[in-house]
Amino acid sequence: MQKENNPESFEAFIKSFFYGKRSDLSFKFLSDLTPEDASTFIQNLFKDVVDSLDDGDLFRVKQRMLQGQIQGYREQKNFEYDDGPFHPLEKPLSSIKLSLLTSSGHFLKGCDPEPLGVENMTQEEAERRVFDFLKEEPQLSEIPFDSKPEDLMVRHGGYDIRAALKDPNVSFPYQRIVHLKDQGVVEKLTSNAYSFVGACSQMRLLKKTLPDWVDKFVNQGVEAVALVPV
Amino acid sequence: MSVGHVARALEEAKIATIVIAVKAFETRMRMMSLPRVLLVPQLLGRPLGSPFDEKLQIDILKTALQLLEKAEQNGIVQDYH
Repeated sequence: MQKENNPESFEAFIKSFFYGKRSDLSFKFLSDLTPEDASTFIQNLFKDVVDSLDDGDLFRVKQRMLQGQIQGYREQKNFEYDDGPFHPLEKPLSSIKLSLLTSSGHFLKGCDPEPLGVENMTQEEAERRVFDFLKEEPQLSEIPFDSKPEDLMVRHGGYDIRAALKDPNVSFPYQRIVHLKDQGVVEKLTSNAYSFVGACSQMRLLKKTLPDWVDKFVNQGVEAVALVPV
Repeated sequence: MSVGHVARALEEAKIATIVIAVKAFETRMRMMSLPRVLLVPQLLGRPLGSPFDEKLQIDILKTALQLLEKAEQNGIVQDYH
């Protein structure tokens, strides 16, 4: 066998999960770990997989991934504010009008926001062009609360959408919100729930987009919004 | 970050918000000084849990709405258990 002249370093290997040749949005956090921590994580994950195969309990695998993701994201710092606005709920929960907004990238079939001007963009292209998304103004998709799950689509270059493809409620829990409204937990919902791709230009979101989005909620008499980042 | 900015803008407009975020986002959420955050021990991309786990999804939302109602000041970050 011919000896490889430039073997890949372990550091390059873990970096490759972050939009590199091994891009995997569930494991992109590996690139934020030190090589030592990544090595320990992978070694422990392998052990957990074997133990879980033995007893059929995948909980320890999930917990290992969870701890890895927490460790990887711990030092990620971007926007920092010393204080923030707070508006108390002024009525009992059972008499409010609620809405839902997520950054999960859901939209209705036939209402594709066509990001970056591309028709029928694939998830693969969204991942490959995620840094282009970060320069763009986000687009808000309106999704009626009575939509059927099979009429929803999802595309987002920043997270692993496989679970959301199976059940939109994992990141866009619109059917569960309807269930709670039907139980009387809240009185009313807006006609639509809302979703956008959170991987977007924060400056454009702050300066250009948000005033219109806020007006949309104010004009509908919304008293509270459940927000889900992904 | 995007949702954090949405939450801050809505609160400025006197609309109360509750953010449901995975535990991995805790640093980001705390640094944005958001009014109310429920941190869930779930994987990235699945903040409401596994597909079709309706019972868990509803319980997370119920807990979030209870936090929405009871919070009396900014900066409440609560873990979901």
